[in-house]
Amino acid sequence: MSQTRFDEQVPPGPACQVARREPLDWVSALTASGPQQDAALRQLHELMLRAARHQVWRMRDALPDASAATLDEVINQAADEAMVSLLGKLDTFEGRSRFTTWAYKFAIVQAGSDVRRLQWRHREVELRDLDSPAPLHDSPAHEVEATDLAHALASAMSRVLTPHQRRIAIALLVDEVPIDVLADRLGTTRGALYKTLFDVRGRLRTELTSQGYLPGASPSATSAATPARPQAGTP
Amino acid sequence: MSPQTPRPITSRAVEALLLDTTPWLSCEECFERLDTHVEALLEGSPTDVAMDRHLTGCPACAEEAASLRQLLEGEPH
Repeated sequence: MSQTRFDEQVPPGPACQVARREPLDWVSALTASGPQQDAALRQLHELMLRAARHQVWRMRDALPDASAATLDEVINQAADEAMVSLLGKLDTFEGRSRFTTWAYKFAIVQAGSDVRRLQWRHREVELRDLDSPAPLHDSPAHEVEATDLAHALASAMSRVLTPHQRRIAIALLVDEVPIDVLADRLGTTRGALYKTLFDVRGRLRTELTSQGYLPGASPSATSAATPARPQAGTP
Repeated sequence: MSPQTPRPITSRAVEALLLDTTPWLSCEECFERLDTHVEALLEGSPTDVAMDRHLTGCPACAEEAASLRQLLEGEPH
């Protein structure tokens, strides 16, 4: 990476095309001392603000209070926290993407998580077990087929999942509690909850495949829930 | 936590529960790859299957990837 003046701007061109020729040596500037580091830190904070503002603006409708003052507070707090997080990982930047892209993700993830937490701040999170799907009678054929799959799924959940796995899966995928919100409430991590979800999906797919509800080998994730059994019936 | 409230499993939830999210990729690894993945998408180069599957099965990571892509697309050319 060539050494250039720190305040040099990214040259014109699509963002993806400047990925390998970003003119700023951010890592050197941020680990320098004196005015060069001060300037780098100021510009980095601007990047953090830009990305946090972008994320909060995308999700503003989810906030109970989307006033300008609240948005500004959320943006600034997320930018500050993201900057601390980034600086703590600066030595892991390997230059595989533009530094600015790498930096943006810290602020986007932080701001997204902050907005979801605010969105759910006054909402209770239920950890409930399984309910029975709706009955099959008096429904159009396609609904009967879908309900048949739902019944088979519910039955499989009762058989092959632990109570903990069922509650996590229901909270995340049925009740659509954001994963970072649930992690906070349960005192765990987003990664740990996603691993539980991954295991849940694997067990359910194996079970329903063995029963003929899913094809043996799924060519793509989007076709994963297509039932293999064409007609409604008992699970 | 409040008392349980009976609610049906919707078709959307059925689909989400039965997604094939293999090969395994953690949220932490998704974060590590997020910048390079989004730049690769913008360049139209072959994508990372594990990332694609993870983003399909993790709404929070998917939102962040979509947001990063939108931010980069909106930057001055």
